[in-house]
Amino acid sequence: MTTSKILMSLTASALALAAAPALAGPVMDDIKAKDSLICLVSATAPGFSVPDSQGVFQGFNADFCRMAAAAILGDATKADIRGVGFSDSMKTIVAGEAHMGSRSITQTGTRDADEGMAFVVTTFFDGQGFMVPSALGVQSAAELDKANICAEDGSTTLLNIADWFAAKGMTYRVENIADKTARLEAFFSGKCDVYASDVTALTADRQLAPTPGDYVILPEVISAEPLTLVARPDQALEATLFWAFQVMLNADAHGVTSANVDDIVADLAQKPADVQRLFGTDAATTDMAAKLGLPQDWAYQVVKQVGSYGEVFERHLGTGTPFGLDRASTLNAHVADGGLMYPYPIR
Amino acid sequence: MQHSPPPAARKPPDRLGTVVVALILLALAVLGANIWLNMRGAGVTPGFGFLAQTAGFDLSENLIPYAAKDSYARAILAGLLNTVLLALAGLVLATVVGVLMGLVSVSPSPAGRVVALLYVELFRNLPKILVLLVLYVLAVRGLPPVREALSLGPFHLSNRSIYMPMFEPDPSQIWLLLPLVAGALAAFWWGRRARRIKWETGRELPVMPVAVALLLGLPMAFALLADVPLVPTIPAFERFDFAGGARLSVQFLVVLLTLGLYHGAQIAEVVRGGILAVPTGQVEAARALGLTPRHVTRFVVLPQVLRIVIPPMINQYVNLIKNTSVAIVVGYSDLMSVSGTIINQTFRPLEMMLITMALYLGLSLLASSVMNRLNEALRARSARSAP
Repeated sequence: MTTSKILMSLTASALALAAAPALAGPVMDDIKAKDSLICLVSATAPGFSVPDSQGVFQGFNADFCRMAAAAILGDATKADIRGVGFSDSMKTIVAGEAHMGSRSITQTGTRDADEGMAFVVTTFFDGQGFMVPSALGVQSAAELDKANICAEDGSTTLLNIADWFAAKGMTYRVENIADKTARLEAFFSGKCDVYASDVTALTADRQLAPTPGDYVILPEVISAEPLTLVARPDQALEATLFWAFQVMLNADAHGVTSANVDDIVADLAQKPADVQRLFGTDAATTDMAAKLGLPQDWAYQVVKQVGSYGEVFERHLGTGTPFGLDRASTLNAHVADGGLMYPYPIR
Repeated sequence: MQHSPPPAARKPPDRLGTVVVALILLALAVLGANIWLNMRGAGVTPGFGFLAQTAGFDLSENLIPYAAKDSYARAILAGLLNTVLLALAGLVLATVVGVLMGLVSVSPSPAGRVVALLYVELFRNLPKILVLLVLYVLAVRGLPPVREALSLGPFHLSNRSIYMPMFEPDPSQIWLLLPLVAGALAAFWWGRRARRIKWETGRELPVMPVAVALLLGLPMAFALLADVPLVPTIPAFERFDFAGGARLSVQFLVVLLTLGLYHGAQIAEVVRGGILAVPTGQVEAARALGLTPRHVTRFVVLPQVLRIVIPPMINQYVNLIKNTSVAIVVGYSDLMSVSGTIINQTFRPLEMMLITMALYLGLSLLASSVMNRLNEALRARSARSAP
């Protein structure tokens, strides 16, 4: 129900965007003139954006900065990725000091109403979830009647839990602990049965457990936190970000990755029409390139230099990483797998 | 009946004081008006109407029935009662610990003095929030998880709570307050009578057993006669936790212990100072009269210490009441925790801070006025008994 609502609003906003005439705007011109794209990320978000030993930001969110640079400038390394605090990042974009932001900003009505900032496309559907010790044998949050729940004091988490349990006719006991150390100690020592927070925070916090594998995140997500790319308002830039992301989703749907994209392009005539439209020299993407003022092979560059959506997800958050997020069990799965990632048609 | 007091001498008007007070009032008025105008400008009307809105969050524990569907005002009341409970228990514990350690610190035993010194210096020199976190982590790690709870009959101990049998709550139990108050009054009367008899005849009458019998016996008899339901419930383990009975949460006990130890150390110093201030001649005279050391302490030293230490103790007690707000760190839903959550939800920091400040101020003033009364009563009594 909630899922389809999100999907509908996403579709509606995407349609509005797609329908708008795409003219190169001042922000796009500025990026090209500087030959560099200033992109704001969070300075300390393991898995999403943290500086590596060379001081270069790595992570899920940082890769969408690279996606934009690859699409617009043909070179992912031309993304000037800067770590900025949450409220400062929105101010910086509104003040025109950065081109875009990729830093887990939840798209909300009041934020989008601000004319200095445009929400473009949701790269990660987060939401509040529950983590339990696997020893409890709990498969679903519906089994949590009368459980003890640890949550951050003063947060909206407390409200979401209260609403959700009331709606299910279940009761619980809350441990609203302000201090994070105390909260995690309480959970890992079994003082609480359940730890409630945003799913991404749960995956990060699970790494702090003595044995992370002893804890599972339940499939239910009880609040909507669509983490969305933000751009300085500019139709060409917004359309580029939106469709570059769709290229990554389409590549994901067709199993195209940075590793096999060269082979696929070399043998393009044998591939499905959808794939041909992505990478062909006389395809939908070349038509878009001319209208948006992008390099002709922008779609290829995005996949080659950054990868498909699934690839980026697995690289930074997936089961092979310390986060161990099983994409298929999140809202970020492909729509065919029950997720919200719905590749728009590129034609 | 009494002489009217002599007319007060006319004092010269205090011009400087008047000016200072006027300036302070003016500054406050400007500040208030400024805040109000700015809030108006931002489209926010200051007001307390939001207190009637639904709170929407739950508390870790509550002394009155409270649920997420209740109003903010009720959430504040529940938080306030949690703070009051913690403060009362903390005052008792800190006083007991402080007086004992204060006595030990001046005892003839060198080992006792070293223990008291170590205790006082350790807890006086650590931030209480650190003490709280250390105790909390030790408690949740050291105590067994709920599925491996230590059990002694119907009592269970886990890192979640202490569980114990209790009577099923029932609204009609409020009537039990009547015999309870009657029992307390009767015990009080008995105590005074016993003291008078001892004063007049030297005969010792039992006081404590009678008081306990009155306080327990009267409500029991009343419940039996008036048919007040007292159905015992015993904690039993369910899927996730014990249900039934009553519980004392570990976070409450840990905050209580922190406050007791932290302020106990400071009270120990106050008591030590008070004891050292009693002239040694008093002790020597009491010994010369043949009083045992225990009686010297009980009847000669402590009564004099009490008068000396009450003013600094008021300070300690008020500090302890304010320091209950560290409870937020480990998840005891006190006034501060409720207030912070409401601010995050309603974005009415000004109104909520005013309410919270007024409530803490009220609690502290109440405590210090009670202590001041006690101080005056003691002084009046010592003035009466003085030659």
